[in-house]
Amino acid sequence: MMVLQSLRRQPMHGYALVQHIKQRSNDLLQVEEGSLYPALQRMLKDNLVSADWEISSSNRKVRTYRITPAGIKHLEREVSSFEQMLKGINLVLSPAESPAESPA
Amino acid sequence: MNWLRQLSARQQIYSDLSEEIQQHLAEKVDALMTDGMGRKEAEYAARREFGNVTRIEESGREPWRWPKMESILSDTKFAVRQLLRNPGFTLTVILTLALSIGVNTAIFSLVNALLLKTLPYPQPERIGVLFAHYTGPDISSGGEDPINLDGQMWEQLRDNVPALTSALSAGLNSGVNLQATTQSANQAKYVRNGRVSAHYLDILGLQPLLGRNFSLDEDRPSGPRAAILSYSLWHTAFNSNPNILGAQILLKSEAYTVVGVLPEGAITPLNAEIYTSLQPSQQGEGEGTNFSCIVRLRDGATWQQADSQLNRAFAVRAARFASKNPGDSMSFYTVPLQKGQSSRLRPEALALMAAAAFILLIACANLASLTLVRVLRRQSEIATRLALGATSWQIQRQFWVENLLLALIGGAFGLGTGYLALRGLLHLLPEHFLPVASVPLDGRVLAFTAGVSLLTSVFFGMLPALTTRKVDLRSAIASRAVAGGGIRLRQTLIAGEVALTVVLLAAAGLLIRTLVHFETLPPGFNPSGVLTAKASLDDAHYRDPAAFRRLMNESVAAMNQIPGVENAAVGLTLPYERTLNGGVIISDGAQAGHQVGADQIYITPHYFATLQMPILAGRDFAASDGPDTQPVAIVNLTFARKFFRTSNPAEAIGHIVDKTTRIIGVVADTQLSSGLSDGTTPLISEETIYVPTSQFATGANAPMLAVVHVWFQPSWIVRYAQPIEGLSAHMQRALSGVDPNLPFSGFYSMNDLMATTLATQRVEVALLSAMAGLALLLSAIGIFSLVANMVLQRTREIGIRIALGSTISQAMVQIGSSGASASALGLLLGLVLCAFALRIMSSQLYGIQVYDVPTIAGVLLALGAVTFLAITIPVLKIARVDPAKTLREE
Repeated sequence: MMVLQSLRRQPMHGYALVQHIKQRSNDLLQVEEGSLYPALQRMLKDNLVSADWEISSSNRKVRTYRITPAGIKHLEREVSSFEQMLKGINLVLSPAESPAESPA
Repeated sequence: MNWLRQLSARQQIYSDLSEEIQQHLAEKVDALMTDGMGRKEAEYAARREFGNVTRIEESGREPWRWPKMESILSDTKFAVRQLLRNPGFTLTVILTLALSIGVNTAIFSLVNALLLKTLPYPQPERIGVLFAHYTGPDISSGGEDPINLDGQMWEQLRDNVPALTSALSAGLNSGVNLQATTQSANQAKYVRNGRVSAHYLDILGLQPLLGRNFSLDEDRPSGPRAAILSYSLWHTAFNSNPNILGAQILLKSEAYTVVGVLPEGAITPLNAEIYTSLQPSQQGEGEGTNFSCIVRLRDGATWQQADSQLNRAFAVRAARFASKNPGDSMSFYTVPLQKGQSSRLRPEALALMAAAAFILLIACANLASLTLVRVLRRQSEIATRLALGATSWQIQRQFWVENLLLALIGGAFGLGTGYLALRGLLHLLPEHFLPVASVPLDGRVLAFTAGVSLLTSVFFGMLPALTTRKVDLRSAIASRAVAGGGIRLRQTLIAGEVALTVVLLAAAGLLIRTLVHFETLPPGFNPSGVLTAKASLDDAHYRDPAAFRRLMNESVAAMNQIPGVENAAVGLTLPYERTLNGGVIISDGAQAGHQVGADQIYITPHYFATLQMPILAGRDFAASDGPDTQPVAIVNLTFARKFFRTSNPAEAIGHIVDKTTRIIGVVADTQLSSGLSDGTTPLISEETIYVPTSQFATGANAPMLAVVHVWFQPSWIVRYAQPIEGLSAHMQRALSGVDPNLPFSGFYSMNDLMATTLATQRVEVALLSAMAGLALLLSAIGIFSLVANMVLQRTREIGIRIALGSTISQAMVQIGSSGASASALGLLLGLVLCAFALRIMSSQLYGIQVYDVPTIAGVLLALGAVTFLAITIPVLKIARVDPAKTLREE
């Protein structure tokens, strides 16, 4: 979800993607950088992203990933279901304000 | 080849991934070095933060794989390696499969061609033939027969059964002589003639390439003479002349107008080269039931309607049968052409299929036993794999893949073997024995073979697979994996296959005994040193009795002139052959006034001397017995016994038949193929009356000459003391000297004639013996491998026993008894099976009973000998066991 979200904002290559996610999460998410690649391969296989070899601004041969229309649809579905879940969790966790106990 | 493209694309994906990861690492290193790290340090940090490159690459590839396919592929690779490591096992299995599947393929091709393949006619399901169903106390079970029609029944069928289009063909079809005028200067050529009525070709849906089918006018008695040529005759005898229509050709020395040419490859059940119109009537041929009938259901009609109309039309015939056979009744029905055509061979074909299925079962039992041993031997391997975390399913799958692989290889070889066997089989069959033009290995046969291969792999793979589920990890790893179990199971399997072998052996034995019975029947004449030749006298010239007499006398005289020929004669039919059946009126004695049926044969003088048939009383015909002298006849012993009530031949002399004909001699019985008795006995000796050619069909009977020669080609016979070089050419020259337009249609020894008559029996014997032999071989392999395997397993135990004082022979007996007891049990079981199964063969057996002692003794002997060999050979290995060596291995 994070990968797709990042790619939706702008296409980028693997290394940039790792840096981007690290930054955005304020280094809270500590993962092996390599674990990104199997995930990208799965998304490639499922046609959620596409990849092309390009020359980067730093004059380096990089493989740039772009989100596909199918990827966008998938992302939206994921996000909305994630939001549903968050809502549910919030309701459960919020103290003593459940509708059943609200005054008539 | 989509997957191929995918496979190469995948290589690209993988290399992209690797390169990408390398680029990532390089970029990271650069970034870290910009932050002030040393190169070494940076590389190290980059790798640490990235994680295990190989593992990541691996899991990056995973989404692109077909997990099932690839693990099956690796299973297959492993299976191939396993099979190659055990060439003995692999070869045995493939050989067994090739033979058993080959037999099944060959036999199924026959069944397919005879019973399953659709006939090469349009809408074959609407073509039928007529059958009669007999019921009543006197009718043995299954009183159902194809029927022939006489002229009267034909007219009723044609006029009163509107649901059907009906047509006839002559029941007996012979050949005719065609004077081909276009080629090789007016030479006569013998061609197979099919005589058919007007709608015959229409019913088969055959449209001529040129011209038309016979018209109704051409089919009425004494209508215009018309002929339709087969494509091949048109091609060979008439140079494919496109203007042949309307041309006059000389057939039977009469002018026929060509009205049509059939397309290339057109097939009729008659398999003729030329077709002429039958012109059926109630006279002549139509006085008896001499016509075969085929029908086509008209549009909109149903077979039920046709059957009920048929029974109404033939009510007179049924009433006549009922009055002749009180208490019995007869009804008529239609049967699809294919079923009708193959009714003669159907039981044989199905019996052969059953025998082939037995072979397959035997093979499966062998293979199950072999694979069982293999699985047991690999128990430690299985246990190791289980211990390393393989699931039970993965191990099962490994075995199934191996079995399937074997079955497929075996099936492929089986197909090859089947093809060869089929070629051999067809070669063995006499010409026109099968009512089908070809026996192809078509899609259905291929599907059958593939299906059988898969089925066998399931059969023989199932048992071993089931046993692996019970592998006990601890004991299997702990012990040295000596596979001792499964003996009981294997013994049971072998008993089962021996039982089936016994049934096949007994069936083959009974058929062999039947054939031997026929072939050793006293022939009643001397079959060696004789050559015979047939020629068609269905010819306008020879409807005149005087011309016929002249031909007989002069041609026999000419053949007597051939140097080395001792005797020559002509007869309408010969021993072993189908005869003319006719009515004879007994004119004196106890049965005076009765008309009886008898085989009738016209002969020239010296027929008996030429065949060396003993004349038991009286004299042979002589040149002096002419058309105007006292009518005379000679009967055989059976005739004398049956109708003159005497077993003393001399007492038959002087009796009168047919009002004026005097019996002047009695000859010994010969074996012939009868149309007289209802039984299906291929050879029988029955009442026969011989008349001289000079008195045959004289006076009012003259039309008989033409009819008889439409049905039969008489035979010229010569006897020689020493084989004569070019005898057949001499005979042809002698005949041509009398009539240059009379070609012989074929030359036969008496053995050829017997072989033709006994063709069905011979083919049955050959096929079933081959299958029984194969079954015996497979059983021997089964017993052999059981015992050999036990010897191998118990070498250690035997070594210890011998070291402890047991003798080698004791050890041998102990091991050998396992095979012997399995075989003995199988034998018992087989004999019990025989008691039930072989009863269905009783209609095929002659001269012996179903429970035939010599046959059973033969089976016991064959099985005993083979079992003994199969046990002895592996057991002898025990003698080479060295106790010291075995104990050292401990």
